[in-house]
Amino acid sequence: MVTNIQVAADLREMQRRAEEAELKLQRVEKLENEAKSSTYKFEEITSKWALAKEMTIPQELWQLLNQQQQQCALLLEEKNKLIGELQQELKNKDEQYVWAIKKQSDDIHLLLERMEEQIRFMLKNYRHELLQIEKAFELERRELLDNNRKKWEEAIQAHNAQELEYLHARMRKVEEFEKQLNQLRVQDEEEYNSMKIQLENDVQNLERQLQQMKAVYQLNQEKLEYNLQVLRKQDEENTIIRSQQKRKLNRLHSLLNNLRTKLANQEKQFREENHSLAADCERITGQCKEVQRRMRHFAISDAEKFTEVWLMNEEEAKGLMRKALDADHVIHTQQLGLPWEEPRYWFLNNVGPLGHYKVKRMATKLAAEVLTESSSGGQEEEGREKEEVGSGEGGKENTAKVGGRVTPLRNISKKTAKRILELISDESGFLIESKLLRSLQALGTHERTLMKLDSIFAALEIDSEDDLYQLVDFFLKYKAQDMAVSQGEGQISKGGATGTGQLQGRGVLGSPGTRYPRANVEAVGCAGGGTGGILRDPHAESQPARRSGPPAAAELGAVPAAGGVHQLRGEQQAALSSHKVDGPEPVLPRGSAVGPQGQGTTFPCPELKLCLEPRLSGKD
Amino acid sequence: MVPTAHTKLSFSLSPLENPILDRLLPEHQRKVLDRLSTGLPLAVTANLISDEDYWKRCCTERWQACDISNYGDSWKQMFFERHLENILKCFIPNTTDPNQVLDLIPLCKDYVRKLEVDQFLPPVQMDQEERDDLSNTGSDFGFGEVSIHHYDLGVLITALPHLEELHLTYGVKDCGMNFEWNLFNFTHQDCCNLAVAVKMCHNLKVFKLTRSKVDDDKTRLLVRNLLDHPCLVELNLSHNLIRDKGAQAVGKLINHSRLQTLDLCNNQIHHLGAQALARALAENSTLTSLNLRLNCVEDKGGEAIGRALLTNTTLKSIHLGSNNLSEPTAMLFSQVLAQNTSLMNINFSCNHLGLDGGKQLLEGLADNKALTKFNLRLAEVGQETEYLIHQIVWANREEMRLGSLQHPPAKPI
Repeated sequence: MVTNIQVAADLREMQRRAEEAELKLQRVEKLENEAKSSTYKFEEITSKWALAKEMTIPQELWQLLNQQQQQCALLLEEKNKLIGELQQELKNKDEQYVWAIKKQSDDIHLLLERMEEQIRFMLKNYRHELLQIEKAFELERRELLDNNRKKWEEAIQAHNAQELEYLHARMRKVEEFEKQLNQLRVQDEEEYNSMKIQLENDVQNLERQLQQMKAVYQLNQEKLEYNLQVLRKQDEENTIIRSQQKRKLNRLHSLLNNLRTKLANQEKQFREENHSLAADCERITGQCKEVQRRMRHFAISDAEKFTEVWLMNEEEAKGLMRKALDADHVIHTQQLGLPWEEPRYWFLNNVGPLGHYKVKRMATKLAAEVLTESSSGGQEEEGREKEEVGSGEGGKENTAKVGGRVTPLRNISKKTAKRILELISDESGFLIESKLLRSLQALGTHERTLMKLDSIFAALEIDSEDDLYQLVDFFLKYKAQDMAVSQGEGQISKGGATGTGQLQGRGVLGSPGTRYPRANVEAVGCAGGGTGGILRDPHAESQPARRSGPPAAAELGAVPAAGGVHQLRGEQQAALSSHKVDGPEPVLPRGSAVGPQGQGTTFPCPELKLCLEPRLSGKD
Repeated sequence: MVPTAHTKLSFSLSPLENPILDRLLPEHQRKVLDRLSTGLPLAVTANLISDEDYWKRCCTERWQACDISNYGDSWKQMFFERHLENILKCFIPNTTDPNQVLDLIPLCKDYVRKLEVDQFLPPVQMDQEERDDLSNTGSDFGFGEVSIHHYDLGVLITALPHLEELHLTYGVKDCGMNFEWNLFNFTHQDCCNLAVAVKMCHNLKVFKLTRSKVDDDKTRLLVRNLLDHPCLVELNLSHNLIRDKGAQAVGKLINHSRLQTLDLCNNQIHHLGAQALARALAENSTLTSLNLRLNCVEDKGGEAIGRALLTNTTLKSIHLGSNNLSEPTAMLFSQVLAQNTSLMNINFSCNHLGLDGGKQLLEGLADNKALTKFNLRLAEVGQETEYLIHQIVWANREEMRLGSLQHPPAKPI
């Protein structure tokens, strides 16, 4: 619409240009034509001027001049006409220009109008569109608002409902809690009351206790003060004592030094002694070996002699026997007509001496057998124990028994015998060398007993079987006497005397008279006058355990201090053997103190050994 | 206390040696600027005040119509550009003091980007008699050439470092009954000055010299100076007197610059000039718009341009309205329409294409999808053809619109 005007103007302009061009062409043509014709006419006129010069007749000249004038006027007129036309044209152009300007202004007005119209139209459209948009927007907004409001209301309603619910729940809870609170309050009140009463009671009790404690405290304070004073005093005393002790210590130190020097001297002395004794011993052992060799030599020769004699006699006897048997045979077959049967005697086939000497085996061996058998063989019977066995001296019978190994000691049961032997070994430890005793500790009980017995027998010089039997018999007899309660002390002492006598006879105790008094003297020297008390002490302890304690105690009490040792020992042994009690056992082996009980507590064993050993060894 | 301080400030602002505006607090600065008089000398305000509101007040007080969008949306730019334009419009050579312009240069050189001067006054004649003579006789001869040169822009233009657009019209406005031909005389000297000045102006992008009687010689002079210009994008020489030689020169310029838009409408270019332009166009790859409205290209020139468009792929818009074209050109352009895919806008208005020519164009347009504008008004192609062509173009335009709508969202994917 708007650009149409421009296009139209363009078209008009183009048309105008085309017309203009055409007009221009026409004009140019016209002008050229005009110019041609006019130049032609001008040439004609100028050619006439030459003709006029030739003219001589004035009329002709005048005529020609007039003609020329007319033609010039004509030419001028034509020219003027042309000019007039052109001016007319110019005027027309001016008019056209005015008209064109008018047209242009019209066009511009039209253009403006159209533009305005378009603007108006567009404004209207835009406004309309804006309205539409606003409407749509409003609509959307309203919808959105409605939706939101709905949602909001729903949410609010839900919220209200929930709120109400919560409120109800809360109310219920509040009520419940109030109830609980009341309940709790009542309960707590009761509790509080009871607690209060209890606490008041407690307070009273505690106050009472406090009072008591205060009293105790005061008491304690006084006590402690007293104690403090006492302790202070004691402290003072202690300081004094300490100084005393220091002095004593110094003194004792000096004493110790003295003793050390003395000891060194003594040691030197003893070493020398020892050397001499060792030399002696060597010499003696050499002698002994010599004797033994000689003895063995003699024994072998004796035995050879004996067997030779025996074989000879046996030959003789056998020959005689054969003779007698032949005679018997003849008598039977020929005289009596009886079939004769040759009797079979063992001794007929015997060659060489019978084993008599086996009977005289070593007492220790026997003891070992007894012990081993009793331990392995088991008890045969207890009843035999009680049998009163007469001390029949049919010693030779036991050979068979020993051979059969049923009972090693004639009539005495194995058990009894074993018991006796064990007791001996236990009780007479003082006869054993202390060195040996110490080494024995490592061995088993059986071996220990055996070794002990061996040494005891050696000390008592019990070599043969017979001696052992005698010993056992002695104990049995003593027991039998003891069993017969009616018998008095005398008997016992007599038995003891016999026992001791026997023992003394064998020279076991060498010269007891010299030895024991000395021991006693020492005991008295150490323990002062309390020998009796000391001696009595262990007995008093063991009394309740002993069946026949009183007589022994009485006896002990009656024994004179000087000579009582022998008696005591005898008594002791007797008591031990007869009672078979454990009572004294703890007393004797306890400190491994060898010797009489009276000395056991006060004397250390080495001293006793020192006392005993030289004499024992020296006696040999 | 504050108001007194402000009044004091507003007084003290007038002397140049006391520019403390920048050091004020923002709210105080605001108050001061609101009270500041618009009549203050530019020498004070030009480089001191950058506030848009102040310059808006200055502009609206001085001019009624203020379209800020033409001036880079800056009131200050607008003020200075229009101020300078006014001075140039009223500048009368040999009469006005040239310092009037030169004094302004340091004040406005940072803000002027476009100069649009549609009037250059000629120097005043010596006396009234001479003028009378001139009015009677001198209109045809360009009498008194010595004294009728216009103001030489060289000094001014080269002093404006940010100048990008230059619109000039050597003529007189509102002369009324004082019309004289020599008021509209773009002399050779003027052209030389202008050409040298434009050559020195390296940031120039748009150069318009319209309604100034630029003929072939002047065109060639201008083109010679514009060859290989680093920035020039748009050249407008419409409503001048350019003939074939000038067109040939412009054709040379097309391939020796970055020209994108060329407007030669309402000149006197005939088929020779058009052929020269067509030759340049065939090799060119920068020009996007060519306007040859109201020339006399005729069929020979039209065919040459059509042939050039068979190979050219950058030109988007061509205006051949009112060029006396007829059927042969239409036939060639039907081929162009079938082959070319870059042309979007063709204007054949006010030609004599005829009914057959219209049908030819319709055929050629059948498969074209790029053309969105095809102006055939008053081209004698018949209503039916025009309607059908219109349909196709509308369809293309609709497609283009949809494509441009859909394309941006499709791009991120």
